[in-house]
Amino acid sequence: MLMHFKLAWRNIWRKPRRTLITCSAIVFAVVAAIAMQSINRGSYEAMIERMVSFSTGHLQLQDYRYEDESSLDNAFPIDQTTLELVRSADERIEHVVPRLETFMLAANEEYTRGAILLGIDTDKEHRFNTIRNHLTEGRFFEPDEQAVVLTQGLSSRLQLGVGDTLILIGQGRFGMSASGLFTITGLLEHPIREMNTQAVYMPLKTAQGLLSAENHLTALLISPQRERHTEQVAASIREVFADSELVVFTWPELMPELLELMELDLAGPRFITAILYVVIGFGFLGTVLTMTLERIREFGMLLSIGMSRGRLVGVVFLETFLISCLGVLSGMALAWLILRLADPIRLSGNAALALMDLGFEPVLPMSFALDQFLMQGLYVFFMAMLASLYPLVTIFRLNILDASRK
Amino acid sequence: MPIVQTENLTKVYNPETVPVHALRNVSITIDTGEFTSIVGPSGSGKTTLLNMIGGLDKPTSGTVLVDGVNVTRLKDRQLINFRLKNIGFVFQHFNLIPVFTARENVSFIMLLQKKDKKEMRQRTDELLEAVGLGSLKDARPREMSGGQQQRVAVARALASRPRFILADEPTASLDTRAAMNLLDIMLRMNHEEQVTFIFSTHDQRVIDRARRVITMVDGIVEADEHRK
Ligand SMILES: Nc1ncnc2c1ncn2[C@@H]1O[C@H](COP(=O)(O)OP(=O)(O)OP(=O)(O)O)[C@@H](O)[C@H]1O
Ligand SMILES: [Mg+2]
Repeated sequence: MLMHFKLAWRNIWRKPRRTLITCSAIVFAVVAAIAMQSINRGSYEAMIERMVSFSTGHLQLQDYRYEDESSLDNAFPIDQTTLELVRSADERIEHVVPRLETFMLAANEEYTRGAILLGIDTDKEHRFNTIRNHLTEGRFFEPDEQAVVLTQGLSSRLQLGVGDTLILIGQGRFGMSASGLFTITGLLEHPIREMNTQAVYMPLKTAQGLLSAENHLTALLISPQRERHTEQVAASIREVFADSELVVFTWPELMPELLELMELDLAGPRFITAILYVVIGFGFLGTVLTMTLERIREFGMLLSIGMSRGRLVGVVFLETFLISCLGVLSGMALAWLILRLADPIRLSGNAALALMDLGFEPVLPMSFALDQFLMQGLYVFFMAMLASLYPLVTIFRLNILDASRK
Repeated sequence: MPIVQTENLTKVYNPETVPVHALRNVSITIDTGEFTSIVGPSGSGKTTLLNMIGGLDKPTSGTVLVDGVNVTRLKDRQLINFRLKNIGFVFQHFNLIPVFTARENVSFIMLLQKKDKKEMRQRTDELLEAVGLGSLKDARPREMSGGQQQRVAVARALASRPRFILADEPTASLDTRAAMNLLDIMLRMNHEEQVTFIFSTHDQRVIDRARRVITMVDGIVEADEHRK
């Protein structure tokens, strides 16, 4: 075995320049693929993080009837015990944020608009997301205030500003009428466009009072420390609430369209990566081809003296394996180094301004998820192995006499 | 005791298009311990005959018995194993693994035979000393002269302790001195190790030292002469 390894190792350094060039091509492919994936995944993850934190949360605990009929009648009572149960379900849970959400009419003296009323616990909400940074005017309300924060879209449609009064009209739990006057303490530019034309934020307590839903929530938002733990945390919570009327949904279940959109976003880079791999695959095949052809006589000699085809194939396979391993591993290491040094990429110019307008930091975060390093490495490796089928087939079909006459 | 027997060995290349009768009814018997040279003009069938005996090619008709085993009936995989166990090969060119040292080239064949490590090392050293390459054990083929390379090939062929050694024009690309030196070594090994040598050659000085000379012309054995 050692001898075979020695043979393979020395064979790959017979033409050091060729091996180095082949390795560099592989390194290049791996670095490019990983960098592309890393930037994509990084922004993908950041985007999910934003979308999710401003809308549904990673996970939601709801009454099981709420999914089919999103009415206040299907809100669920919340108490300290339930909160404790959630918190202790999984140690990876970072935020637990209450929401009471319903559809209402928002009006001034003249106009009426449809609105989504969001009763929020300001402290918890602010720890959970950066909505506070999106205030364009005024301030957020105090927990018991009879006040609202209006989104820009809605405020301009209703022509209301800070200090003005908003009229809300609708229905509370079990058909109780719900209407009231609320002072506008602030305006905000909601990062999610549809929300910006509809959302009205109100202190949770005030909303519960308005809607006759004391101690009730329509949803409890739960978020793990890391997005990728969503499913596992969901499973833990499901276990805890298995026998109750409460059910857990994950963000892809709550916003399937968001997931589709992102998959679409990732399709382009995936395609480019695939092309990159094919190009590299052919490059590698070229090397393997010349390597095989110039050694036909040697193969013939080895078969003549009694080396079995299987062993010979083993050695040649080991050679391509070693070259691709060398390329792939150094590619992974180099990619890691480059990404570490570059992360996060600070944007400038229009892209940066656009992001800052939305209230985000102008950076391209990167993902360092191990699996993507491994996957890209594996793809390249797989291509290399595919290319190495050529010498294997050649050896199995080699006619010894023809080989020695070459 | 016969070690190689051919019976009515016939080989026709390209039987369908331009038939070339490389061997016609060749029947020879070679005994253990012989030092036999096969001679004849170019194209007379020497290489073809050696290839048949070595199981590198199949005859059109006739049989080759090695130690009573009909080689022509063996399948590819069995043949490779058969060669590994029974036959040592020395070719005119390109005998050695270029990335291996002399020592590694010689050991390699024993490794394929799954010989014991210690025995392997010992025999390799012994053989390299015997062919006069004690000081070049760690040299790679490209650091050696043609003659030295051929001597490594002979050592390699002997290393597997084969029943006989087939050598197709082993001296053809060597100058006279190297050729004679190689022949001396082969003769000595023939004595010391009792190995049978069957080799082809054009070289009159080599022919002069063989103990049996089989002359081929046009695929036919024209003369078979034993000397003392
Ligand atoms: N693969 C082949 N296809 C067709 N004809 C062949 C083939 N191999 C050998 N021959 C022919 O068979 C005959 C015998 O060839 P062979 O190589 O055995 O001769 P040789 O005695 O070894 O010659 P040399 O001294 O030149 O090596 C020649 O006429 C040669 O042209
Ligand atoms: Mg010949």
